[in-house]
Amino acid sequence: MNRLELAGCKLAICLGPGGVGKTTISAALAIDGACNGRAVDVMTVDPAPRLLDALGLNADASEPREVALDSIALAAGAARRGRLRALRLDPRSTFDAIVRRYAATPAAAEAIISGRIYANLASAFAGVADYMAMEKLLELAAEPTADFIVLDTPPAAEALDFLDAPRRLLELLGSRAVSLLGTRQGRFGSGVVDLAARAVLSAFDLVTGLKLLGDVQAFVRNFEGMYEGFAERASRARAMLHAESTAVIVVTTAEAGRIAQAGEFIAALRKAELRVRAVIVNRAMADLPNVAEISRAKMPAALKRKLKRNLADYAALKTREAISFETLRAAMPTGAALMLSSELEHEPRTLADLAQIGARIHRG
Amino acid sequence: MALARLLFVTGKGGTGKSTVAAALAYALSLGRPTILADLDSRMSAASMLLGAPMTGGTGGRAGATLEVVALSAHAELEAFMRRIVPVAAISRRMLKSRTFGYVTAALPGLEAFLMLERLRIMGGDAALEDRYVVVDGPASGSALELLAVARGVKGIAPVGSLNRIAHSVESFLVDPERFGVVLTVTPEELAIREALELSAALREHLGIATVAAIMNRIPAALFSKKELEEIDGLEAHLALAHRRERERSAAGRARKEFLRAGVPMIELEMLYRPAMGRPEIAELGATLAAEMPAR
Repeated sequence: MNRLELAGCKLAICLGPGGVGKTTISAALAIDGACNGRAVDVMTVDPAPRLLDALGLNADASEPREVALDSIALAAGAARRGRLRALRLDPRSTFDAIVRRYAATPAAAEAIISGRIYANLASAFAGVADYMAMEKLLELAAEPTADFIVLDTPPAAEALDFLDAPRRLLELLGSRAVSLLGTRQGRFGSGVVDLAARAVLSAFDLVTGLKLLGDVQAFVRNFEGMYEGFAERASRARAMLHAESTAVIVVTTAEAGRIAQAGEFIAALRKAELRVRAVIVNRAMADLPNVAEISRAKMPAALKRKLKRNLADYAALKTREAISFETLRAAMPTGAALMLSSELEHEPRTLADLAQIGARIHRG
Repeated sequence: MALARLLFVTGKGGTGKSTVAAALAYALSLGRPTILADLDSRMSAASMLLGAPMTGGTGGRAGATLEVVALSAHAELEAFMRRIVPVAAISRRMLKSRTFGYVTAALPGLEAFLMLERLRIMGGDAALEDRYVVVDGPASGSALELLAVARGVKGIAPVGSLNRIAHSVESFLVDPERFGVVLTVTPEELAIREALELSAALREHLGIATVAAIMNRIPAALFSKKELEEIDGLEAHLALAHRRERERSAAGRARKEFLRAGVPMIELEMLYRPAMGRPEIAELGATLAAEMPAR
């Protein structure tokens, strides 16, 4: 079996469309690393309850917890078992922690956190979960204990949602546009358009009843001075993504719709000049048995017909999958490995299931 | 029971949400004029009905009584701005201004909320004109967020036009004549559990009823228990036969669970075909037309 070689990597990032099993694959890769003697941290985002159970995490495991690997066999050829820590990203509490760290005073931090704009920003602005995943990554990377970090990413419609998160959030916090809404003059002065914008926003407030302008002003005022800290961390996260020792992995399933989405992810990553190390097709169908075996077997003719019909049914699905693979092969980035993760007979429930998935990922 | 005028289709990723939405729109269009409203930027349900990728554009016709439209949250925001800022030149400027983009990004509920308002208008029009609207909505997690947004808006805008809209959106969502949720599910534990949880959350938190759960990809019956025991050797073939029966029994168990939760379950057979195209949509649609007829 031709394995996915991640031994030289310090960081693996799993990106892909929603519902393809990114979290499962991330956990499987992490366990596989630990079984090969490495000290691994895996950060999951929004895992299914069953996966949380398998990793021994509870709902508020926002700090790394050691996962007991006693039930898992050592990989063939590995001298010793490494260790595995897992955590679950909690974007809101991560954001709160950063605000407390960078705010000028504890009172300023509380003023930000209790404000209406922040509450909306922290819970719903699409980029926040992505940005916080990067923040947590920097935290983990700063601890010298792990030699391999596996990062699951929040569900996103496009790869750039994740990669762009720091830039978008920084623009929101530090742009001339927002500073003009603050009490002070914008960094570059304000033009006629901006004054008009401000007037229209006031009108907007009046009509909608949102009283947005005042809140935005207070938010910006409180955030002043924190911008530099955010900007510096964002550029460090960006550098990590582009590092030679980082493996960008696209996860998908063989469904036609997901393959099309995966193709878009790949194109977006190419545009961002990120090298894709591998594309993993999750829940790939296993090879089908031979129809001749049925003909040779000793059993009633009616049953043989049924077995042949069943085989033909799955063969049709296998053809559907093969068509998807053709599309994917055409979209594969240069130098990236096409890997398959065969479906288990049941949904993964235990650490052993995840380990099995990790050990079985093979070249397609 | 008379079917709600606007059916909002959602489900776990990978359960065939777009396929089912397309088939349901097709089914209803056999009885009454129907619009498929695609909320997904990829337009996969719309493309399936049109038989060709629908990229860009705002809509098209997929049959004499079947129309597809693309809905985008940003377009709704633009329309709303044009309504409240009467001077066209200013509203255009405003929408182009990055300032405004950031403010609406900070209030992300706004676009979603205006989308709901759009659905309310479409549902109302459909009732008046005796039509149906099928919405290919977001996957379950985001669907709950979207449908709950009116409540959030009421909280942050205690007075004014948004507050008034929030009230009418809320009464639209709990009116079974006009609005109903359709859940898609496959015979897999996780998908079934997610659908049951979503249905309970919609009922308990928002008072929204689930019209039906549509279970997609149920294998047709093939082997009896006795036959499975008779298969001697042929391990790989036996495993394949067991797999099929396992999915069938998962569907059977789910039927009972949905029944207990008060949600009717409609079954669609697995189509073992190398590709899913318009003929397949029509085939699934025929089953749905019998189970969920237009009034």
